[in-house]
Amino acid sequence: MNLSQLPKLDTSTQAFFRFRSLPNTKTVLLTGLEGNYLVLKDDEFARFAQGAVEKGSPLEKRLSDANFLRATFDTQKAADKWHDRRRFLDYGPNLHILVVTLRCNESCIYCHASRANMDAVQTDMSKETAEKAVDLIMQSTNPNVTIEFQGGEPMVNFPVVKHVIEYAREKNKAAKKQLEFTMVSNLSLFDDEKLKFLLENKVQICTSIDGPAHLHDKQRKMPGGSAHQTAAHWIKKINQAYETMGLDTTLYHVEALLTTTRDTLPLWKEVVDTYAELGCRALFLRPVDPFGWMEKTAQRVEYPRAEYMEFYRNAVDYMLELNRKGTQILERFASIFLTKILVDDPNFLDIRSPAGPGIGQLGYNYDGKIVTCDEGRMLYEGGDPSFVIGDVRTSTYRQIVGHETVRAMAIASNLDQQPDCVNCTYNPYCGTQTTHHHKNFGSIFGRMRESTLCAVHKGIQDYLFERIGQDDPAVMDVFTKWTTVRPRDHFLQDAAKG
Amino acid sequence: MSEPFKNPLVSTDLSKGSVLLEVDAAVYPLEALYGASYVFIDRAFVFLEKPNEQRYRVTISPKKPGADEAALQALVGEFSNELLSCAWRAQITQANRAVIEAVTLRAVAGAMGPPSLSELANFDFTDAPLEDPLGIAMSWEEKYKKKDKKPDAPVAAAPEKTAAPEKT
Repeated sequence: MNLSQLPKLDTSTQAFFRFRSLPNTKTVLLTGLEGNYLVLKDDEFARFAQGAVEKGSPLEKRLSDANFLRATFDTQKAADKWHDRRRFLDYGPNLHILVVTLRCNESCIYCHASRANMDAVQTDMSKETAEKAVDLIMQSTNPNVTIEFQGGEPMVNFPVVKHVIEYAREKNKAAKKQLEFTMVSNLSLFDDEKLKFLLENKVQICTSIDGPAHLHDKQRKMPGGSAHQTAAHWIKKINQAYETMGLDTTLYHVEALLTTTRDTLPLWKEVVDTYAELGCRALFLRPVDPFGWMEKTAQRVEYPRAEYMEFYRNAVDYMLELNRKGTQILERFASIFLTKILVDDPNFLDIRSPAGPGIGQLGYNYDGKIVTCDEGRMLYEGGDPSFVIGDVRTSTYRQIVGHETVRAMAIASNLDQQPDCVNCTYNPYCGTQTTHHHKNFGSIFGRMRESTLCAVHKGIQDYLFERIGQDDPAVMDVFTKWTTVRPRDHFLQDAAKG
Repeated sequence: MSEPFKNPLVSTDLSKGSVLLEVDAAVYPLEALYGASYVFIDRAFVFLEKPNEQRYRVTISPKKPGADEAALQALVGEFSNELLSCAWRAQITQANRAVIEAVTLRAVAGAMGPPSLSELANFDFTDAPLEDPLGIAMSWEEKYKKKDKKPDAPVAAAPEKTAAPEKT
């Protein structure tokens, strides 16, 4: 549907709307300022655009209920919803990434973190640096604080991980935050004693699974063994431990992330099956990012995003089929966007407007440098300090989050200033990454039409709205389940006990 | 690498390793030209001229020598896309300035929170006040006082040396 195809437009009856013809369908999507939406057939859209919707018709009721008609526009409802969807603006960083070391015992073809060899002990964070980072973290204006251990491989510097947990819990007696700990690990350096400590201290564990063993081991080299076999062993062991502790394993399990490379694309079914067999109930089909080693390996790893979208559609179609047969597994991108579309903003830091760097998340490098976000430290390790905003030894909390780089990123990731995004139908649900643009275009603003990030976000939302437009009760039932956020209170630290 | 294109506004000079772009000054604002040029300064030398009232002239020379025709064309094509993006962004930012400022203020203020007592204790209240060339911070009485009256002592927020009352 193209407006130029319509003989006469009448703009006097509609409330504000953006529209997009959904590819491969004869439907048009409308979205409003506050995130309201409606999928119309082409002829219905034609009547809407021409101001020719019949009084008292079902179409008029649908448009009115979805707040797209000027005559019945509910301003208060729209304003309240607009504010609700941006309530994250009132709180500071809740995600605090501690890069406790760059050392790693695995070597991944796409390593975004610029890992260091196991003898590079100079890339370990010291206990003193870690304590200063925690002191700053506890000053966040956000009542919810998550400390995420990253590397390299964080288990390489386990003494500092332990120290941070104990020190943060002690500090939290006074700060009284809703404190959580998360670790992103390849799991290969786990042993029973370390696992016991992590379970006792309620540390959420997240790992990487790149699909079936042959692909995972090809992309993630572990000297002297199979990275996949090791990770699979510990995923099962940790999930069993949760079950033994009496926790609901549909809620408490190891989270795993996929990095999609060129070799992954034909293996969409094998990838989903691998996750289902491992008991991972969420699969995040992330494309590769341009950071770290990708600068050198992109020629072997990268791919056109149209091919990625074909992979994505195949994989999610298959996941929907598995769900209908009783296997609970969700795709994380879909879950984030569907929650935004059908429910509310889940505050996913990389897909919101403005995005999370500095105002929603902070990174603390092993050397004490503070960066706006995870990608900022990846660029820093590659020799680009553009996103360094302080040092744990010298900076105050307010200096960090009030830094001019943070302000610039908040403006540049605001979709209401971005060409294309400002008019995009997906504006209410989308987000962009300034670090991604900085790397790809040399400017934190980027250019959406050439951005791989935009292609992926737009492609996924096209797919989801096509599915929503089909109104298949079985699909909508699964989509609704994917938007259900159940709190995982077990992982909350007890502030009183420290 | 994209296919070379032909455009009367673009000319390449392989001997100098540079590409020249003529920009219509009525189509693109100077701010957009600065913005687009700056994006390229890590990989190229960018020279801006204004040969006449109607045109800007941009000469781009890659820092890495040896660029061929296709590479120069790709560079100037990318520059043109960036220029268009900057020009449109400038317009959008003007149109949406109020909402962008409100959201940014709410985000940064929400993240910073109020200053702590120790930060207030360290605050240097002896700093000179902000410059106020338009006299916005002046009281009504001071701004419109009769000229023959003996001047009052300057108020803290608007010292005489920076307060420039409007001519009456």
